[in-house]
This record gives sequence, C-alpha cells and structure tokens, in this order.
Amino acid sequence: MFDAIRFPGDTFCEAFDSSGIAREHWQPLMNALDAIAPSVLAQRQERVRRMRHEDGATFNPFDDAGGRGVPWALDMIPLPITAAEWAALEAGLIQRANLLEKILKDVYGAQNLLHQGHLPAELIYANPHFLRPCHGIEPAGNRYLTYYAADLYRGTDGRFHVLRDYGSNPAGIGYALENRIVISRVFSELYHHTQIRRLAPFFQTFHLSLIERVALRRENPGIVLLSPGPDSRIYFEHALLSRYLGYPLVEAQDLTVRNGEVFLKKLAGLEPVEAIFRHIADDRSDPFALQREANNGVAGLIQACRERQVEVTNPIGSGFVDTPGLSVFLPALGRQLGEADLLLENHPAWWCGNPADREYVLANLTQLNVQWALARGEPTDGLPADTAELAAAIHAEPHRFMARAPVHPATVPAWNPDSVGPRYTLLRVFACATAEGFAVMPGGLAITAADVPTLLGSTLERQQSKDIWVYSDRPVAPFSLMRGLQTVAEFKRGSDLPSRVADHLLWLGRYLERAEGLIRLLRSVFRRLSGETRLVDIPELPFLLNLLRAENTIPPAPDKSNPIPRFRELTHQLNASLYEKERPESVVTLLKQVQNAARNVRDRLSLDSWRVINRLDVFTDTAAGDPLDLLDDTLFTLSAFSGLAMESMTRGLGWRFMDMGRRIERAINQTSLIRLGLPRVCADSRSALETLLEICDSIMTYRARYRTAFQLAPVMDLLVMDESNPKSLAFQCSQIAAHVEELPRLDSRRYTTGEERLALEMLTAVRLFDLTGLDCEHEDDRQTTLENFLRTMEVRLTAFAQQVSAHYLTRVPATPHFTAIHGEPEP
Amino acid sequence: MRYRILHKTAYRYSEPASLSLNELILKPRATLTQRVAQPRLTVVPDPQYLHEYIDFFGNSVQVFMVQQLHPELTMTASSLVETLPVAPPPPASTPPWEMVVGQLAAHPGPQELDAYQFIFASPLIAINATVRAYAQVSFPPNRPVLEGALELIGRIFHEFTYDKSATTVDTSVDQVLADRKGVCQDFAHLAISGLRSLGLAARYVSGYLETLPPPGKPKLIGADASHAWLSLFVPGFGWVDLDPTNNVIPGERHITLAWGRDYGDVTPVKGVVMGGGVHTLSVMVDVAAQN
Repeated sequence: MFDAIRFPGDTFCEAFDSSGIAREHWQPLMNALDAIAPSVLAQRQERVRRMRHEDGATFNPFDDAGGRGVPWALDMIPLPITAAEWAALEAGLIQRANLLEKILKDVYGAQNLLHQGHLPAELIYANPHFLRPCHGIEPAGNRYLTYYAADLYRGTDGRFHVLRDYGSNPAGIGYALENRIVISRVFSELYHHTQIRRLAPFFQTFHLSLIERVALRRENPGIVLLSPGPDSRIYFEHALLSRYLGYPLVEAQDLTVRNGEVFLKKLAGLEPVEAIFRHIADDRSDPFALQREANNGVAGLIQACRERQVEVTNPIGSGFVDTPGLSVFLPALGRQLGEADLLLENHPAWWCGNPADREYVLANLTQLNVQWALARGEPTDGLPADTAELAAAIHAEPHRFMARAPVHPATVPAWNPDSVGPRYTLLRVFACATAEGFAVMPGGLAITAADVPTLLGSTLERQQSKDIWVYSDRPVAPFSLMRGLQTVAEFKRGSDLPSRVADHLLWLGRYLERAEGLIRLLRSVFRRLSGETRLVDIPELPFLLNLLRAENTIPPAPDKSNPIPRFRELTHQLNASLYEKERPESVVTLLKQVQNAARNVRDRLSLDSWRVINRLDVFTDTAAGDPLDLLDDTLFTLSAFSGLAMESMTRGLGWRFMDMGRRIERAINQTSLIRLGLPRVCADSRSALETLLEICDSIMTYRARYRTAFQLAPVMDLLVMDESNPKSLAFQCSQIAAHVEELPRLDSRRYTTGEERLALEMLTAVRLFDLTGLDCEHEDDRQTTLENFLRTMEVRLTAFAQQVSAHYLTRVPATPHFTAIHGEPEP
Repeated sequence: MRYRILHKTAYRYSEPASLSLNELILKPRATLTQRVAQPRLTVVPDPQYLHEYIDFFGNSVQVFMVQQLHPELTMTASSLVETLPVAPPPPASTPPWEMVVGQLAAHPGPQELDAYQFIFASPLIAINATVRAYAQVSFPPNRPVLEGALELIGRIFHEFTYDKSATTVDTSVDQVLADRKGVCQDFAHLAISGLRSLGLAARYVSGYLETLPPPGKPKLIGADASHAWLSLFVPGFGWVDLDPTNNVIPGERHITLAWGRDYGDVTPVKGVVMGGGVHTLSVMVDVAAQN
C-alpha cells in the first residue's frame, strides 16, 4: 500500500529514507496496515470520521450546512517517533520553555533585558503582545509560564526546527487527546501491543502541578476552565478538556470579581475560584483593564491577579511569547540568561529593526517571506503586495517587519479518501510547568496539509491531523484515558451549579418537550394521511388541522366552511412545518433549538447523549424519505436523548432544572391543546376525544383504566386531574412543586418565594378543580368553566417560568462607563 | 501657587446597581514643579474593597468595589497641590528636531530609552501619512524641536474649533483632523500623533487648569473641569508641556494628575457597573487658589 507513493524529492520524508526504504520505526506500523485489506482500512477511516463527528469535534456543529467544518480532521495513520529522537526533542523544548519563562519574568518585572540592551525597546514598547496593566504582577503560583506549545517542523536536513511559540492560550491539546482516544480504539490491537507512551500521565502531571501551586494557599481549590463559549471554533476542545481534567467549564459571564477575589456565580450564591485554566486570549481576559470594547472577559480579573488571589494558567500577558519577532532574539537571550545554545534550532528569521537584518531582507525580498514582527492576528494580513511598496514600508517603520526563510517541512504518508499519499506536516507539542521545571507531553498533534501555505495558515478545517506515537524503550504502564470522561466536572464542594448552566438546562428541557409535542401532533396527522382513505372520510382530520392552525403550525384555512384543503396543498403545508428553517415553529427549527441548548451545556451531557444529539442532523427533506418514518425516528432519538441525559445526570440541580423545563413546557402545551380542542371534541365526540388522547400520549392508559367508550369527563379527568398519569396536568404541577422545594433558598421558611407560592397555587387549583357533571350533552357553562380554568393555568405557568428565571437565572447586564468632562479654553 | 483640588463624580442609577468596579487616576503626581499633600478619596457608599497601585507609567491608580445594592455612587478626590514656576528652555536653543529623532532612535541612556516608548502609535493615537503631512509643515529642516512643536500647537489652536458636541472619548485623530473641531483631549491626541509621526516622543497629560473668572466677577465654585495637554521630550532638558487648547506652555496654573500614551492610559474615572439601568452622571471640579 505504501509502495506506490511518490514523495516530493526535495523534502525530508518521515517514513522513507532517500533510497526509498522504510525507516525502521515505521515498519511495524506499515506491516500492520498492509495486513489489513484496503476496503477494511477505508471502513476504519470512515469509523474514525464518524467517531470524531459523534464526539462533536466540529466547528459550531449546528450552524448552517455551509458553515460546517471539521478542524484538524483526523487521519488514521499515526506519526511514529523513536524514543531517542523524542528525548532530544523533549530536552530542547524544556530548555526553550525555561528560557521563555525567564524572559517573561524579566519583561513583566525588572526589565533588565530592555535596560541592558539585550531586548530591543520596540519589542516591548511597540508590541501589542506586551500588556502594560500586567507589568509588576507576580503570578500567584510564582510561575510566569505554566503551559506552553510550539510548532515544529523537520527540515530537509532531518532536524527539528521551531516555527512558532504559543504562550497566551495554546490550542490543540484537546484534539491531540481526542485523536488518541479514537486511534487507540480503531487500532486497539496494534496500539496495545506496541510500546507507545501514554498521554494520561501528562494530564495528571498538569493537574497535580496546578494543584500544588494553588494549594500553597488553599486546600481543595476550585479550578475552572474558562472558555469563550460555544462560538469558539474549538469549543469542542474546551468541553473535552473540562470533562477530562474535571474542571467545570465556565464562560466569562459566570465569573465575578469581589474584594479582589474571583467567584463563580452559582444558583445558591458565589463560590470562590482559586485557579483558572484560561482558554481565552490574553487581551480578552479583562475588558476593564485591557480592551474597553471587548465584552468577553472578566472585569477585574487582572486586579485579582495583581492581588495574587487567583492562579491563571497561563498568567495573563504570557502572550508576549507569541510575538513573532521574539524568536530572532532567543539564541542570544539564551546565552545571556544562562542557558546554553539552543538545543532546538529556530526557523531562520530576520527582524528588520536590526540594521544588518534589514539590509539582508531588503536584498532578498523576493526569496523571503515578509510578515509583521509584532502584530496580533494573521501575520501577513494587510502587507503591501507590491515589492517596491513593501520595501518602502520597511524603510519607514522597520521595527514592524520581519522575514522568514521559506519553510520546507517534512512529508508524511497520509490516508487520502481511498489510498495513501504524501502530505506536509508540522508537529504541535505541549509542555506544562512542574515543580522541577517543565514536563513535555509525549505525543501531540501532527498537523498535515496538501500544500505548505495551507499547512502554515490558520484555516483549521483545511488541515488534517494525526496522532503522534512516541515509542518507548521500556514497557508502558496501562493508563486509562477514559476515566473521568463519563462524569461531569463539578466543584468538589456543594452540589450547586452555575446559573448560566441552569438556564440552558431549563431551556433544553423546554425545547425537547416542545419538539416532542409537535412531532407527536404531526405524526398523528401523517399517520392518517398515509392510509388509503380520502381526506374527507377521515372524521378527526378537521380536529387535528384546527389544532395545528391554532398553534400556527400551518396557515389558517382560507375558507371556513371547508376546513380540509386539497391533498397536495395539505402535504405542502405540512412539509413546510417540518422542514422550513425560516419558520420559528417548524420541527427543524425546534430541533436546532434543542441542539443549540444542548451545545451550551455540552460539558454537562454524557458523551453518549451527546452522540445522540448529533444524530438529529439527519432531519432533512429527502425525496426518498417518508415523513412518518422520519418523525418516528426523530421521536425515538429524542426519547433516547432524554433517557440518556436523565439517566446519566445525578439528581442534582442540573437535572432539576432540565426536568422543570420539561414539566413547564408539557403543562403549557397540554393545557393549550385541551383548551383549543375543547370546542370541537363534542362536535365529533368519539374520534376527536380519541385523537386528543393520542396526541397527549394517554390512549393506552385510558383504555386500561376505563375500558369504555371515549367520554368527555373521564378523558378530562385523565388528562387534567389524574396525578398518577405522567402526562396529566396535575402530574406536571406536582413535579414542579417538588422541584421548587429543592431549589437553593436564602430563607428556610416555606412559601416565602414567588415561585414556591405559584407552584403551590397551581397544584392546589388543579387538585381542587371539579369536573362533576361535565359531559358533551350539555353545552353549558361547565365547559366554559373548564376553559377558563385552563386559561388561568396557562397564565400561571408562564408567570412561574418567568419567576424562576428572575430569581435564579437573570443575567444582569454590565455597563462600562468612562468620564471626562473637559474644560473650555480660556477666553 | 497653592491650590485645593476637589473632584467629585456622582452616578445616579435608575435602578439600584448591584456591583460597581472602578479605577480612578485622580491623585496628582509629584513632579519637579509640583508638590502634593493630603490626597484623599471619599466614596459613598463605603466601598468593601479599596486598593492602590502604581501603574506602568508611574501613576497612582485607585481601584475600589461597591458590592451592595446602591442607587447612587459618589467619589470625591481632594488634595492640596503646590505648583512651582516652570522654566522651559528657550525654544530657539533646543536641538534641531532631526537630531532629537536620531537620539531617540539610538536611545543611548535611560532617559532617552524611557522617552522612546512615547514615539509609537498607541490604542487611541494612530499614526499615518495625513497626520504626518500636517505636522511636517512646522518642522522644516534643522528647526529647533521646541520651536516646531510650539508652532504646531499654535496652528491647532488657530485652525481648530473647540466643540464639545463634535467628539466622544473614542474619536480618532483622523476624524479630528478632517472635521477641524474637538475638545482638549482631541487636540492633545492630534498634536501627539503629529509629533510621533516625525519620530519625536510625546505623551498625554491629564490634569486641571485653574480657571479665572471674567474681570470684576467672583469665581464660581465647581466651575473648573478636567483638562488635558501633552508633553514633548527635549534631550538635555527633559519633558516640556504644551497646551494646544490654550496655545501656551503650561505653567503654575496647570495641575498634573497623570501621564501615559493617550487618554486610555490615564482615564480619570472608569468603571463597570452591574445593573443600575440608565445612569446620570454629574462631575464637579474645583481648583481653588489658597493663600
């Protein structure tokens, strides 16, 4: 399989030497892959793709089809590295991390390097990566760099070179972890019979070192993982890491600073946070101290750091390491700061602020890659395209420019859709601070692409990735990666949860129920349409269609006297209510709301339930598909999700809020269905009552309980009053009352809060309601009474939902203000 | 001159605010020509947290938080300041501007190195060809640097209209240059941008200016206001203040609070408030001469 590949001759090939012989450490892998039939391999790659999709390793997975992409899609062929080569690489990375930390400590402290002329002034004064508000802050854990990543490539000489350094908020380690989980399952035999170093011990080291730094101040510290939220391209990674490390996933709005300390906003109040694993960029960490417009940081966070009240990994300001031009100075700084010569070579680069470098760059402008030396963001965005203009720009402000030699990265065999072919590759490797210095993760993310510009660019969905296998000379201890992935990260103390999470869980419950209700209703219609019967011969059809119209699911009948449209017209309307994305109450819109709510609490859901949620993607209009099958399948998927989600959640507050959302929605839905159906149930009594029971999912219970024909009073009793019927209004009310009792409260006395009183009021009202004498024969005020009662209940339910939100979930908006009242000029 | 400074900022909220975090740069800096005594800060309601630190530029910053519900928030900073006469170098005796540019670029000593940080663009002060063209007019070859700078602020004074409604705290230098109007902050930003575009070091100064009543009238208490100007680095001398709003070299009646790269570094009062609905702001500044 590997024989047929032609590698570009001018690059180093990871797998074959220059005479075309497979390198020794690739042979076991190649033999293993060659032993598998190509068709089976193709299936495995498909399995890899599916596993990653189901784990949700996608960009904004629920956005429109166009926006969907997979960052660093996984190619199943790993990249093996020998123990000896890795040992050298490891030593080089540790040395580099040490050096970078010393530089950070100096730059944010005494600035001797600046004053003694070892670091050009521009690198500090004209560098947006240097954050002035962070100057003078000594990190709480006494470490200036606690988490570090670098991109390496292997040059034509076969040696590793460092291309980029990451200090602000390095990305990719979650994908490396996910890749390992997937590959070790797909090639489980090969993986477990080869001595490959495990990743789990590194994460343990990361965690223990963090604990150690924080525990100097407090035992059992609260650690959170701070993410920009589901809109991040790599939110998947944040959710995975949160789950894996056991740090609750929070967004900036979940945190607040009081008394110079950081707290997590939870339902019962504020809980102290002692450490933050930060996955938001440096300059977006604190809108107060850094960017006035940015709304996605924690106001006051830098003040908390200044007071040494919180350990942030990495300390804010460590993005200084990301300065593109810094690498030019590392060899000299290394010597200055007592490190020996760099073990890992830099990629050749020149900073135009140095006169000699500038001359060289200007003389070789067409052969070199010019880029910004200090700017944030894309390194070449906005550069003059014209060579003469570029030269002029360099002359005008040389310190802003640098140039790098063209990169000739190594190639590696990669799985293309149906065969193996060459791709260029970079290695992203990670290190964390330990008490002794730094530890390097034995593995990482091999990033690959078909051409070099794509490889070096930032379009992650056009790059692929590989698992890096670091061979060990010694047998490796078995270590489970999966431990911890099945549970939800929560602070050890208390069963409380962040208000934002409770809010999303409540809405997840509501949307789930709303989708199920609508699907059940539509399914009843489609079932009737799928038979042979003519529309006019289906007695309950007008009843069903009226319900749909009352709920705005289909448009009103143009002609009141003839409620049944033509068959084609009706299927058209019904299809729109299924598939039309623009309609707020279509099935597909509701499913998307379910998915959106779910992705906001992704770290709270078990992996299994998350996989089920991703299956809702299949709800699309396919000509071949039968809507009835699709509705059945979707209802099944939703039930599976509810079952799994409910099953895998502890009966804590999260579960309560989700279930409360469900109960509220079901009660509202049920009440309005009955109220809207009531005027018609007596007109065509038998079929309409039966249909009402069907869409309320209570027909079996009715048959079992009454064994009689369908009559108004018993049907209403079952649907409204019967507390033992899980679909009844009374049941929902009693569940709601039970949940409310368990919510955190300040006052220990009962019925002091608005939601408690409302819950009690609803439960009492439904218990005391009297159905006696209700029947279809008397079109009298008893029906009106029932209708009014239902209407009141709807109002109460809505008020209850609002009350819960106001009490527990309100997000208070924050307004920044800046004053400057300026005097007039002198007269 | 001796002054008693009073700077009172009051927020009144339409709904009680639950949390307020504020950073104040309201403590006058001690300089060679300015002594400061009895700086005080009073916050009502009492803040649960009050902390002071020295920022990157050497200014004193006070951070406080009010953490209980409060319908209004008042902060009053007061101090006694003595200003000494300023003796700027005779403009014609200052070095040619190109030489200053060269010295800054080489930054041979700590003073030049420190000044060097003020030659770059900063978040609120962009540098571009338009501004450079505007400034260049005042800097023909070999012109003594202070002469050029004085001419530049004189041009701004004469060509621009003081207009409080024309700009906000975020107005760009380009817009000020295009509209030819603004307030003291805008004029300072523009002059700084022009000087930096030539390779000179200029910093933003926040402070107060004692206002004098019209002849024969008593001075009204609280009629004063915040003021802003700039400072130019002149090798061999140090920093020379320049006030483009009034076309003067600031003297004893200018009181310095703080300096930085631009307004953003030395905003006198900034804060974040949770809740509070709509707020109304009132600011009262009194610069009272003492005998």
